[in-house]
Amino acid sequence: MDSLSTRYLRAKKIPSTACGGCGLGQVHKKILMAMDELALGVGDVVWGSGIGCAGRQTFNTWKGDNFAGTHGRVYAIATGLRLALPEDKKIIITSGDGDAFGIGLSHLLHCARRNVDITVIVADNLGYQSTGGQYGYTTPLGFVSDSSPYGAIEQNWIQNGIDILDVLRAGGATFLARHSSLEGYDAVKSVKAAIKNVGFSLIHFIYPCVSHFGPVSLKTRDIDRIFHWFKGIFEAGGVFGENFKSGIFHDAGNSRPEFASSLRSQRAEVEAGHLR
Amino acid sequence: MTRKEILISGFGGQGIVTAGRILGHASTLQGLSAAMLVSHGTETRGGYVRSQVVISEEAIDSPIVEKPNIFCAMSQAAYNRFFGISRNGVILYDPDLVKRIGPPSPTYLAIHAGAAARELGIPMSANMVMLGAILRTLGMISDECMKDAIAAISPRFTELNLMAFEAGYRT
Amino acid sequence: MRKLFETGNAAITEGAVAAGCNLFAGYPITPATEIAENMSRRLPQTGGFYVQAEDETASLHICIGGALGGLKAMTATSGPGYVLFADPYGWAIGSEIPLVIVNSQRVGPISGITGAPGQGEFYLSRYPTHGGNFETIVLAPNSVQEAFSMTVEAFYLAERFRTPVTLLADQLVTDGWASLSLPENETELNEMGLKVVPRSIHPGPIFYPPTDEIDVPPVVLGQNTGGACSDWTPTEEGYDTEDIEDQMKHANRLIGKILSHRDLIDRHESIYMDDDPEIVLVSYGSPSRVIGSAVKRAREAGMSVGCIRLKSLWPFQDKLFERRAVYLAVELNVDGQLVREVARASRGEVHFLGKCGELPRVSELIEAVDCLCDGCELKSKKWETVVW
Repeated sequence: MDSLSTRYLRAKKIPSTACGGCGLGQVHKKILMAMDELALGVGDVVWGSGIGCAGRQTFNTWKGDNFAGTHGRVYAIATGLRLALPEDKKIIITSGDGDAFGIGLSHLLHCARRNVDITVIVADNLGYQSTGGQYGYTTPLGFVSDSSPYGAIEQNWIQNGIDILDVLRAGGATFLARHSSLEGYDAVKSVKAAIKNVGFSLIHFIYPCVSHFGPVSLKTRDIDRIFHWFKGIFEAGGVFGENFKSGIFHDAGNSRPEFASSLRSQRAEVEAGHLR
Repeated sequence: MTRKEILISGFGGQGIVTAGRILGHASTLQGLSAAMLVSHGTETRGGYVRSQVVISEEAIDSPIVEKPNIFCAMSQAAYNRFFGISRNGVILYDPDLVKRIGPPSPTYLAIHAGAAARELGIPMSANMVMLGAILRTLGMISDECMKDAIAAISPRFTELNLMAFEAGYRT
Repeated sequence: MRKLFETGNAAITEGAVAAGCNLFAGYPITPATEIAENMSRRLPQTGGFYVQAEDETASLHICIGGALGGLKAMTATSGPGYVLFADPYGWAIGSEIPLVIVNSQRVGPISGITGAPGQGEFYLSRYPTHGGNFETIVLAPNSVQEAFSMTVEAFYLAERFRTPVTLLADQLVTDGWASLSLPENETELNEMGLKVVPRSIHPGPIFYPPTDEIDVPPVVLGQNTGGACSDWTPTEEGYDTEDIEDQMKHANRLIGKILSHRDLIDRHESIYMDDDPEIVLVSYGSPSRVIGSAVKRAREAGMSVGCIRLKSLWPFQDKLFERRAVYLAVELNVDGQLVREVARASRGEVHFLGKCGELPRVSELIEAVDCLCDGCELKSKKWETVVW
């Protein structure tokens, strides 16, 4: 256990039950590094998680307070929780691509529209890997998975000029970024900016799955080759196209009224008798 | 048995529900129990709005008006639909809106509610004229409770509504 | 005490406010919309929050989130929304979240008729989610005054039992108007026999004790207690587990805490049951109002009849049906739901009178009782006698 883990994570949850070689740990670690640099303590953050690899592996790893939603609903739970918590308490959510971009997309978009002050880390392993490797909303077109044996035919959310981050930006998200778990400090900087935004922030973090996506979709069990492929997604000739870049996608941090604080302000007006 | 059943029915916008609310509120202030069910006929043509009001000195079991002691008809559709169950009670109707069926009877009272309200310059208050006539027939509730209820339910037009109510009470 | 003439919807709103509700999340649906509208006006006046959710799934999840942060939350809906609660309802049961759910039942199936009363969610309120291994608490008001008092009681039970409580009303109860006495302070509330339990905070670390005890504070997040709440089976400390023994302990607690303290939940009203009547009418909600009138008239006509009105539906009160009698269940559905439980619990002769979307008339009920007194078959089918 390194010092960050000792400081922030529960000993009972280390080592995690993730597969050997899974990239999720690197995503997790970048969040902790950002917290450390922001000097956040265990009591400053409530940690939520979704379902799937990213949700299950991160649930209750945080030494402080934790919650996990049913599939796709953690964003709605966080909306209610935001109203109950003091404004300086951070809510950080780790969920997966199926959770955020599939079953929970409506709730996620409504969080963006309301500008609920939460930071959503979508840890994306390019499909439904915890159920054995079915295609999802970010599986590259044509790729084979256990439920697309002839190649994924359905348009995904991040290829051919379609981008889920565009959808979220249009929906009102105030901070959006995209990275891979294999990147270095730039990703930590984005997490820091996301947490500092008092509003809806989301970071799309792509990470390698070595148990299903590698063997089935990339047809290799070789971890180096899998990692090499994932490193290439942001480079020229990458599978998602030229416009698929890592970095900050949209930064309108602290530019729109935040959901809970708007409700509080209006309530104060009502209580003061200014609104009837 | 003090249970009284009052059925007020007409079309949307006549204040059928408001009349029922005032009657219920006044009964409550009087220390009586009151209940009201509001229903809307779904037909676009010939539809009706209906307030079923039950007033009693005791707790009210069924809130349904099955045999009204008083039936106040403010549209032909309402009259046609409900006069059958109201034969044993008093039927108040506005002759400008309702053509009576059957022979005249002492239990059929023509209340020129619309005309009276127009005369007062408050055509929207025909329901209050009818309410006055209902109370005159019903008894049970004091003037004071009635006035307090009108003030509570329609605070913006209390004075005008009281005028209309009194006009109806005097008929 | 304030004397008003109000709807059941307004009474539920005031009951929630009196119980300390400070979060309402809901989605508009007839005939429960008026509760949402009233809450949107009242909660900002009383230090609470109103949220209009994107769908009913979100409504209840937002309530859960608020409750997790220490708020007293409520949502209100009708059948088509209640069925969408399946996912968060299970979450709230499993994680032991206190909150209140109002269902103003309308006639179904599917969207049915929006403005007509129904009683189609009797069993759904017992099994509002998947997976089994739990009990639910369900209260059923039949009047505007009870809509107020039972809302306060629902919050009370939710806190003490650490579980969601459904107030299973119907369109006539919520849309109907009636005289309503509202307490103006806590003393008056207590004089009505009602109590308010403030939210307490579990200090940890044993958030999920493997016992039947009640009055266990719920997990409240943001207090740095190390609280953990999830959709997975929890260990005593709230870690996710796949150990079948933990699953068993958890299930036994969810069931045991309710069944071991059901004296706090069970409530009913018996009318004319002292002289051992031959015929017993059974109902809950709006139909019980008409039955009250019908039974009085039937007795005046010399018939040996009484009635039982259930004020709490779940856990089902089997003991009320131990006496040998001919039971007639009256419901606002024609498939028969309550009647199945009565048949199971009574082991006797049980009949069914169902109406779809409207209340039975007093005359209709008297005719049915008269028919049963003569030993005749009802036109509607005789319910199959169940021997267990």
